[in-house]
Amino acid sequence: MTATTTSPVAAQVSPTAESALPTVAKVPSRIAGPRPTTGVPFTRLIHVELRKMLDTRAGRWLLIGIGAIIAVALTIMFFNEGGEHAFGEYLQATTMPMALILPVVGILAVTAEWSQRTGLVTFGLEPRRIRVAWAKTLAALSVGVCAFALSLVLAGIAHQSAITFRGITGDWSIDALALLGAGGYVLLGIAQGVGFGMLFKNTPAAVVVYFVLPTAWSILASMVSWLRDAATWLDMNQTMQPLFEGSLTGEQWAHLGTSVAVWVIAPLAVGIWRLTRAEVK
Amino acid sequence: MITVERLTKRYGPFTAVDDVSFEVKPGLVTGFLGPNGAGKTTAMRVMAGLTPASAGRATVLGKPYAALPNPGRHVGLLLDASAQHAGRTGREVLTLGALLMGVGKHRVDEMVELVGLTEKEANRRVRNYSLGMRQRLGIAHALLGDPEVLILDEPANGLDPAGIRWMRDLLRGYANEGGTVLLSSHLLNEIERVADEIIVIGHGRIVAEGTKDELLAGAGTYTRSTDDDALLAALAAESVVAHRTPTGGLQVDAEPIAVGRVAAAHQIVLTELRGGGSRGLEEMFLDLTADAAREEVAA
Repeated sequence: MTATTTSPVAAQVSPTAESALPTVAKVPSRIAGPRPTTGVPFTRLIHVELRKMLDTRAGRWLLIGIGAIIAVALTIMFFNEGGEHAFGEYLQATTMPMALILPVVGILAVTAEWSQRTGLVTFGLEPRRIRVAWAKTLAALSVGVCAFALSLVLAGIAHQSAITFRGITGDWSIDALALLGAGGYVLLGIAQGVGFGMLFKNTPAAVVVYFVLPTAWSILASMVSWLRDAATWLDMNQTMQPLFEGSLTGEQWAHLGTSVAVWVIAPLAVGIWRLTRAEVK
Repeated sequence: MITVERLTKRYGPFTAVDDVSFEVKPGLVTGFLGPNGAGKTTAMRVMAGLTPASAGRATVLGKPYAALPNPGRHVGLLLDASAQHAGRTGREVLTLGALLMGVGKHRVDEMVELVGLTEKEANRRVRNYSLGMRQRLGIAHALLGDPEVLILDEPANGLDPAGIRWMRDLLRGYANEGGTVLLSSHLLNEIERVADEIIVIGHGRIVAEGTKDELLAGAGTYTRSTDDDALLAALAAESVVAHRTPTGGLQVDAEPIAVGRVAAAHQIVLTELRGGGSRGLEEMFLDLTADAAREEVAA
């Protein structure tokens, strides 16, 4: 029997061991040219905020989730009743999931700065916080605009496929107001999400309030009569309804404006005010 | 250059930072030393414009932080290595910073290499990073914009002794090129190894400040000789206070040179003679830490 000797120096480093610092510290190289004397351009802020919404696992899965729901909805419509649906109905199927889930992207864009504590870096690199607040709002809205454009395209493709492959009679008519309603539904939801995020600075709180409040409101309104009267002015689900039907009276515009002011503009305004004053920890 | 003038930060009845003034000079590494909860982090957050001061002010490069244009190109911040989105990769964290500062993506590669993260590690999500790796990522982020000033809160936390040495060499080289460095720590030996100037803070107030040599001096002398009894008598004759230490040898309240002269005059052979080192600073620091610990127990 031969004795095996293990070399004392051949200690195996486990493959999961992390790298070490370099043995010699190198001083970082200088960046050529003078240091900037102008602030960070606003377009750059929007670009970075946009990227931050999509570069995390949470953000990516939200978008994948929306895509999956839309695919399922369109498939069901395609086979249900022989695919005999107007373009407007297909559009509803593509817009609804977006309007439902994209506000969460808006909420996370703000609350992650606090829950993941990235605010220390974000507001360290741009101390003029109001610019960050606007960059977040506009970046989230531009996600909404792209999503809505995509939902138009997807609905169009689905409707055209139903015409081509299932032989339905096409119905492309869509009311301008209904289109505005569908787009507004998506964008207002996102703006509201951003506002709630700034208001609560906390993901669970913002998400729960965003989703529970409208439902709770509808239930209460069905039980309490004076709330029902208020709901005609304040319940966005109600005030937006005439948009989809394609005609609004002056009073209905007033209802819509009031509800938007209360649920979208006010949270955004108070949220931005809070964001610019809060201590970043 | 960082200037802090009569800075106070109160949270209700609690005063986190109490009328603090100091200056952090370029070309030096300044250590901000204090036990946990002494107000270091709060003071640093005020410097970075993240926490509003209750009174007084802090300026960086002569301006309030918020007035710096594209501050990432002037000041490198590492306020909390754990404050990164767990779902982003290390490389993505740096890329976002580089995009915002407008420094180009090659700078990201350079910084990844500088802190010794491998390609694979840089592409891993921060969730899977150890504290040491987060610190390295944070240091890389702070250096991304080639800043003139570095403000680092507990940067050596989570680094091993070799890492602390690396940090010292890095900051030394950076300061030699004219950079201003303020780094905090709650560990005296960390600060001792890295800093040129030390500011000691306790209960929100500055309790000592000066160059490391100044603060380490005045701690007396430790000496051993072939005949400690004779040396003790000789020192007493010169009215120098000295006493035996429990582990042998003498602790003398005088500079080493004075002790050496006495020994020479009395022809006593010294076997050891050295300054008390950080003993004075350490005792002051331990008192502060003990105070803080007592308060925690009382609270």
